[in-house]
Amino acid sequence: MSNFEDADTEETVTCLKITVYHPGQLQSGIFQSIRFYNREKLPSSEVVKFGRNSNICHYTFQDKQVSRVQFSLQLFKKFDTAVLSFEIKNMSKKTSLLVDNKELCYLNKIDLPYKCMVRFGDYQFLIEKEDGESLEFFETQFILSPRSLLEENNLPLQKPIPEYGCYPSCSTQNTFPTEMDESEL
Amino acid sequence: MPSSDLPWPAPSCSRELTAAGSQPDVPLAVRLPSMEKPLTVLHVSLYHPTQDPDTFANVPLKLQHDASPLLVGRSPDAHLQLQLPRLSRRHLSLEPYREKGGTLLVFCLKVLSRRGCVWVNGLTLSFLEQVPLSVVNRVAFSGIQMVIRVEQGTSLEAFVCCFHLSSSPLIHRPQAEETDEWDGQLQEQPSPSSGQRAPYHLGLLHGPSQPSPGGGPETQLQKAPSARMLC
Repeated sequence: MSNFEDADTEETVTCLKITVYHPGQLQSGIFQSIRFYNREKLPSSEVVKFGRNSNICHYTFQDKQVSRVQFSLQLFKKFDTAVLSFEIKNMSKKTSLLVDNKELCYLNKIDLPYKCMVRFGDYQFLIEKEDGESLEFFETQFILSPRSLLEENNLPLQKPIPEYGCYPSCSTQNTFPTEMDESEL
Repeated sequence: MPSSDLPWPAPSCSRELTAAGSQPDVPLAVRLPSMEKPLTVLHVSLYHPTQDPDTFANVPLKLQHDASPLLVGRSPDAHLQLQLPRLSRRHLSLEPYREKGGTLLVFCLKVLSRRGCVWVNGLTLSFLEQVPLSVVNRVAFSGIQMVIRVEQGTSLEAFVCCFHLSSSPLIHRPQAEETDEWDGQLQEQPSPSSGQRAPYHLGLLHGPSQPSPGGGPETQLQKAPSARMLC
C-alpha cells in the first residue's frame, strides 16, 4: 500500500461508469444510498455486491423486491494478457439477470462487454468500462438517468412485433416506424 | 461464512483420524446428514515440505461454505487459514458458480496475491488471473502442494471442503528426474517455437492422475514441474 502511495508515477485506473434507471426512482428513494457522480476507488480483488442487504452489499437498493444479494461484479485479468476485465454474476435465486440479451440464472456469470445493458425486474444499468493501468484498484461512478435507458438506446427488444405480422429479418437495421398496432394489419 | 468449523486435532493424530474417518466406498455427498440435496464436496489434500504443525494448525477437518468465494490465505478472516510467512493474507479464492445451462456447481481458482503466483494444473497464474477447475486439480503456492478433487452434489446453496493433511508430497518430483533431460532435448532441437513448450505443459495438465495404492489423493506426474513452476 505504502509502495503505491509513494510511487512517483500515477497510474490510470480502470473505471466502470454505471448509468442507472428505475421507473420509480423519484418517488421511492430506491437509490438513496448510492452516491451519484462521485468516483469511488475499490481494491481490485474486491467482489462488489449489489442488493438489498447493506451488511453484505457494497451498493444497496431500498426495495423489497430486490434480493438480499442481487448480483456481483469482480475484476479479473485474462490469463497471459494485461487486459483487465469484469465479470458479472447473478446471485439471485428468484430473478434472472439480463446482460444485453443474455439471460443469467442463479450463479451464472459472464464477462462484461465494454458497454452493455444489465437488467433485472424494472432496473436498468448501462455499464461502460474505461480501461486503466492500475492492478491495485478500480473505480466506479454512478450516474442517474432521468429516462429509460432502453428508449435511449433504442434496443431491438423495444420494437413492437405484431403477433401475426411479419417483421424484418434484421431488426437492428429497421428504418420503418417503430410504433405499430396489431389492429392496423 | 463458514457455518461448520471443526477444530483440527493435534497433528500427530490428525492423519489417523482422517484415515479412520474416510469411507471411500460411499460418496461423502451422500453421507452428509440432514441435507435436502447433497452438497458438492471439495476433497482438499495439503502438503508442505517443512511438516511444521503450525502451518496447518487452523485447518479444520471439514468446512461448509455458502455460494460466495472461499478465501485461502494467512489472514484470520480467510476461510482457510494457513500459517506461512510467505503467504499473502488473501492468497487465492475458490469461487463456486454455474456454467450456462449447467445444474451443478463448478469452481474457478483466482489469484488474490499481488506478489505470489499460484501454479494450477500446469499454468502459472499471477495476480487476478483465474482458471476453471476440473475434477482433479494440482495446485502449488508458497511451497504448499494442494490437490483438489471435486465431488459434485446437486445443492446450489453451499459446498463442503474436507481437508486431509498429507505427510508425503502430492506432486512428486523424483530425484532421478531432476536432471535437465528435457532442457537437453530442447537444446538439441534448436527451434524452440511455442510448440516446443506445448508437450511439456500438456504433460503437466493431462499427465496420468493415479491414486496412491492406499486410495489417497496423491498425484503422480510424468514429468515433475520445476521449483520455479511450483511458485
